[in-house]
Amino acid sequence: MRPSASPSHAGKPVKSREIVVSRLVKDLALNKYLYMMMIPVLAYYILFQYGPMYGAIIAFKEYSPIKGIVGSEWVGLAHFQSFFESYYFWRILKNTLLLSLYSLCFEFPAPIILALLINEVRNKRFKSIVQSVTYMPHFISLIVICGIIKDFTNSGGLINTFITYLGGDGQAMLQKPELFRSIYIISDIWQGMGWTSIIYLAALMNVDQEQFEAARIDGAGRLRQIWNVSLPGILPTIIIMLILRIGNLLSVGFEKIILLYNPAIYDTADVISSFVYRKGLLEFGWSYSAAVGLFNSVVNLILLVLANRLSKKFSENSLW
Amino acid sequence: MKKTKASLLAAVLSVFMILVSVTAACSSNSEEASQSSNSPTQSAAPQDNTNEATTYPIQTDKKLTYWAGINSNLAGIRNSLDEVPFFQEWQKRTGVPLTFISPTAGQQKEALNVMLASGELPDVIEYSWINFPGGPEKAIKDGYILRLNELMDQHAPNLKKYLEEHPEVDRLVKTDSGSYYGFPFIRGDESLLVFSGPIVRQDWLDELGLEVPTTIDEWYTVLKAFKEKKGASAPLSFLSEGKLAGLGNGAIIGAFGINQSFYLDNGQIKYGPAEPQYKDFLATMSKWYAEGLLDKNIATTDLKTLDANMISGATGVTLGNAGSHLGKWTPLLSEKDPKAVLAPAPYPVMNKGDVPRFGQLDNPFAVNGTAAITSKSKNPELAVKMLDYAYSEEGHMLFNFGVEGVSYTMENGYPTYTDLMMKNPDKLAPAQALSLYIRGNYFGPFVQDKRYSEQYNVLQSQKDSIEVWKTDAKSTKLPPITATPEESTELAKIMTDVETLVNEMTLKIILGSEPLSSYDSYMKKLETLNFDRAIEIQKAALERFNKR
Repeated sequence: MRPSASPSHAGKPVKSREIVVSRLVKDLALNKYLYMMMIPVLAYYILFQYGPMYGAIIAFKEYSPIKGIVGSEWVGLAHFQSFFESYYFWRILKNTLLLSLYSLCFEFPAPIILALLINEVRNKRFKSIVQSVTYMPHFISLIVICGIIKDFTNSGGLINTFITYLGGDGQAMLQKPELFRSIYIISDIWQGMGWTSIIYLAALMNVDQEQFEAARIDGAGRLRQIWNVSLPGILPTIIIMLILRIGNLLSVGFEKIILLYNPAIYDTADVISSFVYRKGLLEFGWSYSAAVGLFNSVVNLILLVLANRLSKKFSENSLW
Repeated sequence: MKKTKASLLAAVLSVFMILVSVTAACSSNSEEASQSSNSPTQSAAPQDNTNEATTYPIQTDKKLTYWAGINSNLAGIRNSLDEVPFFQEWQKRTGVPLTFISPTAGQQKEALNVMLASGELPDVIEYSWINFPGGPEKAIKDGYILRLNELMDQHAPNLKKYLEEHPEVDRLVKTDSGSYYGFPFIRGDESLLVFSGPIVRQDWLDELGLEVPTTIDEWYTVLKAFKEKKGASAPLSFLSEGKLAGLGNGAIIGAFGINQSFYLDNGQIKYGPAEPQYKDFLATMSKWYAEGLLDKNIATTDLKTLDANMISGATGVTLGNAGSHLGKWTPLLSEKDPKAVLAPAPYPVMNKGDVPRFGQLDNPFAVNGTAAITSKSKNPELAVKMLDYAYSEEGHMLFNFGVEGVSYTMENGYPTYTDLMMKNPDKLAPAQALSLYIRGNYFGPFVQDKRYSEQYNVLQSQKDSIEVWKTDAKSTKLPPITATPEESTELAKIMTDVETLVNEMTLKIILGSEPLSSYDSYMKKLETLNFDRAIEIQKAALERFNKR
């Protein structure tokens, strides 16, 4: 997260403008190669992150590509209004929030636990095998993952065959609204747990070995060590990851939903992004999608700032 | 620190996904785009008033870009249209070099959307323009594609001639206000209009001593027998795509006197799910589902599942096409089980002897593959001339039969496909081999020849199917009507919600997660979605169509 090439003193508060300018010139001369290294990164953000923000205007316009952004007519908040008044607004908002919340509760701790467990493994070979196996799913394409999920959960699929074998009643699971969230979250954990745990493993590497020794001398067992040494050691990383995660609370990825859902489970599976996909991409409603996307982002931004502030208040960690 | 913020914001902004794709291209193009918005009228303005037939190949050094999907039969054989012999020959014959752009299979709509939003348009776009949100009239009005009337008058004598000789087709390919917007795909013979319907395991019927079912009750008996005596785990299975898409042509549901979407009833527009008979249909389907006669995965059945069901013998009755389904399953099935026979079955009715009122029936103007010329085209005349070739005598042969001596030979004045097509040495199925040399088995801007399907449908069951699947659908089928650009936004908004509601309710009742009685409360919700207005719009569109 920390910038490597940007000189930190450029942003320091200074008393007068002249001093700033002269310092900057001096600094430029001194660190010109560092500055040069910064150019591509800056260009990337300006071109691909800040530049497109200008396009958010189309949320307030009746956008037509031929007329262009400037030429399109202004419609004010009409698109926002029609989104909020939509028959399904509350349902998709609820689904989005719930799915995000569940993923926060269940998906977020999973890689931490995995990292702590892997960290305890003493056999190096076994450790690397476990690591490879757990992060492998991250590299499988989402389409394939969803194909696997569909095959496993349909009425003749692996899971149902197993359930029937145990004497249960096999049913197509992706047709049951009450199961969708579980399927979504569990497969997400399976897919992302190993990969994300790498960050925590790296953080664990940095925990001072002497602390472990000290703890051992004091008679702490394995679990105690994890609780009192490992966990506090990676807490800053956990909090930063948590804040970032909260900033994306409303952004449930639409690809996976769209690949998995069907009208029988709209009740729990239809979220803002899949709704936008149906409305925007399939009906050419660019402005409408932009409006919903903007709403989504604004809520996310507010949540992010809130989370950061709370974290600053209660722990000493924060993003800024 | 600044950059930390930036990367943070970047993370937040990743939700802009759609936005970014739209605007990244637009911000650089908006100026150019606004400039060119008035160019269509300029370029379309008549330069000369000659209506001479073009001589092919045209001498030109200009190149056109051509956006079109790849026939799914070519999957795994050729990756781009440049490599397909047909498309090479087409360029050679017309003399117009083409650069092809192909969307990913199955994602035409999304790809077109992104392309339109970018403002970077090719010269020609093949698409089902009638399904463009707002209809072709809106596509012209918004400046995506050209109104072709004048251009066609001057440079498309072949198509013009065809339309003059076939006024009933001419009526279908125009908009309400009389604009031509593309080079259409025309099914050139009555027999080409019917190609889909119920398919049943004839060998199972024979074995069990059953007749080919014709009524809903007989279907029930047959399905029950298949389940109990043949061990079929999904006796009736068909494509779902989340909305029981397999029933879209009116199979099963038609027996209840309605169709799944809008249809005509004595000249009146009606919407099946809003009619009281829909409840009876749901009752039957949920009963079948509960008794295990329907595929258990009915909400998620895709082609892959259906293929597996058919070939493994899990399914005994299905709904499919003569070419791509019957023709594909039959050889695969007989490989596994030499006794297996698939046969077409008539569309089911309620009372024995009734003529089915609903069934698959295409319009002579099939909406897929209409080639429109975009407003960005710098050479619209050339594009028109190039496209008009397909409607000439010579072009007609090329599109339907390919190159004489290679893909067909003339036998007693009848173009007969060669062994390269029908018994391909590289072990390609006829559908695949044909897709390399002709366009007849796919849609596109040309007139389809019935002599193609006479040979393409090799199996006797396929040949029979046209007769067996005959229905009275002509009386209930809606012509290709379009709402006005103004109405269409309203219609789209209403129908998205209505369809979401209907699809959801239908599946839930069939799956048994909601009782049948909840149908009534769903119908009350329909009213709150302003559904009456949607019917009104459709009625007005039909009236305009009838006045054409």
